[in-house]
Amino acid sequence: MIKSTTSVFVQTTMSEVIIRVKNLKKDYLGDVITTALGGVSFDIRKGEFVSVMGPSGSGKSTLLHILSFLDRPSDGEYTFSGKSIQELNDNQLAFVRNEEMGFVFQAFNLLARSTVYENVELPLIYSKMSVSERKETVEKAVASVGLSDKLLMPAGKLSGGQKQRVAIARALVNNPPVIFADEPTGNLDSKSGMQVMQILKDLHAKGHTIILVTHETYTAQFGDRLILLKDGFIEKDEPIVKSDKKITTLK
Amino acid sequence: MKSSDAFKTAGKSLTQAPMRSFLTMLGIIIGIASVILLMSLGSSAQKLILEQVQSVGSNLMFVIPGGPSGSRLASPASVQGIIIKTLTEKDIDSLRGEPSIDAVTPEVRGQARMVFENNDSETTYQGVSSEFFAIRDFKVVKGTIFTKRDEETFNKVVVIGQKLADDLFGARDPIGKTMRIKNTNFQVIGLLEKKGVGPFGIDQDDLAIIPVTIAQKQLLGIDYFAAITIQAKDVYNIDYTKKRVETILRLNHRITDKSKDDFQVSTQEDALAILGDITGILTAFLTAIASISLVVGGIGIMNIMLVSVIERTREIGLRKALGATNGDIMKQFLYEAVILTFFGGVIGILSGGALVTIIYFILVNLLSTGWFFSLPITSIVISVVVATVTGVIFGIYPARKAAKKNPIDALRYE
Repeated sequence: MIKSTTSVFVQTTMSEVIIRVKNLKKDYLGDVITTALGGVSFDIRKGEFVSVMGPSGSGKSTLLHILSFLDRPSDGEYTFSGKSIQELNDNQLAFVRNEEMGFVFQAFNLLARSTVYENVELPLIYSKMSVSERKETVEKAVASVGLSDKLLMPAGKLSGGQKQRVAIARALVNNPPVIFADEPTGNLDSKSGMQVMQILKDLHAKGHTIILVTHETYTAQFGDRLILLKDGFIEKDEPIVKSDKKITTLK
Repeated sequence: MKSSDAFKTAGKSLTQAPMRSFLTMLGIIIGIASVILLMSLGSSAQKLILEQVQSVGSNLMFVIPGGPSGSRLASPASVQGIIIKTLTEKDIDSLRGEPSIDAVTPEVRGQARMVFENNDSETTYQGVSSEFFAIRDFKVVKGTIFTKRDEETFNKVVVIGQKLADDLFGARDPIGKTMRIKNTNFQVIGLLEKKGVGPFGIDQDDLAIIPVTIAQKQLLGIDYFAAITIQAKDVYNIDYTKKRVETILRLNHRITDKSKDDFQVSTQEDALAILGDITGILTAFLTAIASISLVVGGIGIMNIMLVSVIERTREIGLRKALGATNGDIMKQFLYEAVILTFFGGVIGILSGGALVTIIYFILVNLLSTGWFFSLPITSIVISVVVATVTGVIFGIYPARKAAKKNPIDALRYE
């Protein structure tokens, strides 16, 4: 088991570290204390596409929640873009989520009765952006996922693939440096899933840092680095070597 | 988050479930409508009563036996078995000499069996002096009123009200007929015009008015008065005249200490103020009862909002994940409650106003009763303020609950 190593990437990338995790632990308190993360350490640099994999119960969701400032670690250090999670209060975490993070969820999490436009606008109403700027920004984001003709349709009436594309438009409307995707293809057929992954790949190409949590080796291959979790520890942290679009590092 | 966005978000959530929003508002609507209705009815009744009292004449004052409250002679002294006999002819003469006084009439009252042929009636008689008719604005439609001379000569004459005339004489003309009051024969010389029911439900038409002298000597066997009614001259301030009356009476009764007064002088304005107080208290009381339904409506809102918070756990989690602070979530849900109560208040005012109008129409046009249309602006202002405050108070708890939700638990919630 490879534990808390970052060495593989130190020499290969020049860009700055955006996420730094040191000995991160998370316990859930209940009748018995459950350890979801036993102590993980790694750095993620700007512009990386990291696929996080692991069986259920391996702690990958917990890790994503902490990385995306939705939860706090029980122990260890986490610095996002130079800001330590310990030093930020809940409102400051909300501001960072709003300005520097985008979210794509497995269950889409759209407001079904609101229109595509309103769904995509959602992060902006919590931002400092002026109302006049918003319209253009939202329309641009919706156009980038190819749904301009559905702008005023209630989100609940879209197909699964379209819904996830709306969710992606919502994730990138604030132009955040980092996008977190939690099983984005889990509820989709393979064709829609491919479309969604292609959009994420394009975003990566445009310079966004993507952190993808998945249990499908097929979607994981879109990344260029794999973090494999098992029982709350990092089992593997290595580059994904692509040859003929096949992942050779995975069984 | 800008307040305009919070309002838009809150408004959108409400319009997306219109039926639920309406049902939630219903409690507030009913509450506000009943507050409006009761305040309006109270204010109409108040106006009606005051108008009736004022119709008696605003420059009148009344002297009744009995001391200031708290004293041994505090009114109603007769209840304690004390009959105060100090208002006498001497007082009347002194008051008639006062320049600020226009007219004075003593009054005695009694209840007696009145008979004409085979008809009889148990009716109130009033012994007064001839000035009474001018002071109280009692006019005859037939015959005449009695004079000073009738008083002085103890003439047994009577002026009767319309109801008494009907009871005793039926369709016949009562003028010139002789009727018996307490076994004494009186000649009917005048028939009063119809006055209707006065304040406090006294029928001003079921009445016999006789000279005060004959009432005292023949019917009652007393030499004091039950009350004195005084009409002040308009050029004098009514309070000045009141002070003069008090001074004169104290002098006559040899009273040096105000607190030992054996009489009370009250002006029409005093009576109006007391009536205003009474009806005001009544209105406030009714309004307070109606307000209970507002509280019930508020609890209804809180209840639905709590359900709504649970139902929208996922949405709350999502909003938080996308950057909403606890304050933003709190704002959204609080605004929802306030919007519900505000519009509930507006609809309540409109329905309350409609009810008031319908009642007015029925009373005045269909039942031809005297009534005032009154929709006090204060009732509207109070309703809107109370409704909105209710929204804030009962919205805070659910809104706080929403704001406190942990985004992960909220997102995971299925």
